[in-house]
Amino acid sequence: MAHPSQLGFQDAASPLMEELLHFHDHALMIVILISTMVLYIIVAMVTAQLTDKLVLDSQEIEVIWTVLPAIILILIALPSLRILYLMDEINDPHLTIKALGHQWYWSYEYTDYQDLGFDSYMIPTQDLTPGQFRLLEADHRMVIPVESPIRVLISAEDVLHSWAVPSLGVKVDAVPGRLNQATFIVSRPGVFYGQCSEICGANHSFMPVVVEAVPLDHFENWSSLMIEDA
Amino acid sequence: MTEEEKQINDNKGFRLPGIQSIQSTPCARDAILHGAGGSLAAGLLHFLATSRVRRSFDVGLGGFMLTTLGSWFYCRYNNAKARVQQRMIQDGMKNKILYEGSVPDPVKQPRAETPSSPS
Repeated sequence: MAHPSQLGFQDAASPLMEELLHFHDHALMIVILISTMVLYIIVAMVTAQLTDKLVLDSQEIEVIWTVLPAIILILIALPSLRILYLMDEINDPHLTIKALGHQWYWSYEYTDYQDLGFDSYMIPTQDLTPGQFRLLEADHRMVIPVESPIRVLISAEDVLHSWAVPSLGVKVDAVPGRLNQATFIVSRPGVFYGQCSEICGANHSFMPVVVEAVPLDHFENWSSLMIEDA
Repeated sequence: MTEEEKQINDNKGFRLPGIQSIQSTPCARDAILHGAGGSLAAGLLHFLATSRVRRSFDVGLGGFMLTTLGSWFYCRYNNAKARVQQRMIQDGMKNKILYEGSVPDPVKQPRAETPSSPS
């Protein structure tokens, strides 16, 4: 999850998010270099004491400042397109979960093998125990097995919502009457937090997404317990 | 937060967010340092050769950009190769554990055929 005063991305928990982080570093380095060059040119022009009033054109610099930006754009576009197509690859999911947005909570349905469904409400601030995170904890987490391809089908029951988990690199709109699909693999066990990312009413900021990745045997135990309790 | 943790946090002092991200981004620190060195070397050599101050600064900037970019892309390329190898090794270890002793085991050698004795 994010720590106070964090500016950058959260640590990646899925291979896709790792790729996105690396692409962000690449693009940011290019942007920093261009900005440094522009700043230097501004300072040089402001402090220059000579003025040439007879310059009409200069073919050389025109070629340079046409070709160089084209090359830079290609250098940015190629990795970007690679990741774009990587995001749409179908990777034979082992598990399909439905995530439905409501005002103002999420509900999850695991219907691959048996009917398991539950609601996930935010834990109010006054009910938190020491060590829990304000506005991020939920009473029931979406538990998934680690290192298994997961398909999440996202929709909404009333208004627009958005199911987002930054550390997994997932943000998908929940649209009433429409089923959107997201697939991801969680690389390491842990608890990953996200928040609703589409304005949906008064409690839009109070319907967090909590994903818990556990080893497969833990997941099997958890799902058996949940089915018994239901 | 306990008293000890508070004290540790206070002792760390003021940290600039931009500097933190350079330290935590792979290859960024090395690229910037190489760029600084390259810029200094290029600018200084040009000045020693021509004694032109402003043009030497321009050459220094060009040296900074080229050296930073070169170091950055070289380091990131090697980084990406290492990550791919790491993933292949991880998958290989997982498959070895999964398939050990069974027919699809990639390590399993075919049995040498014993020649039949002549009747």
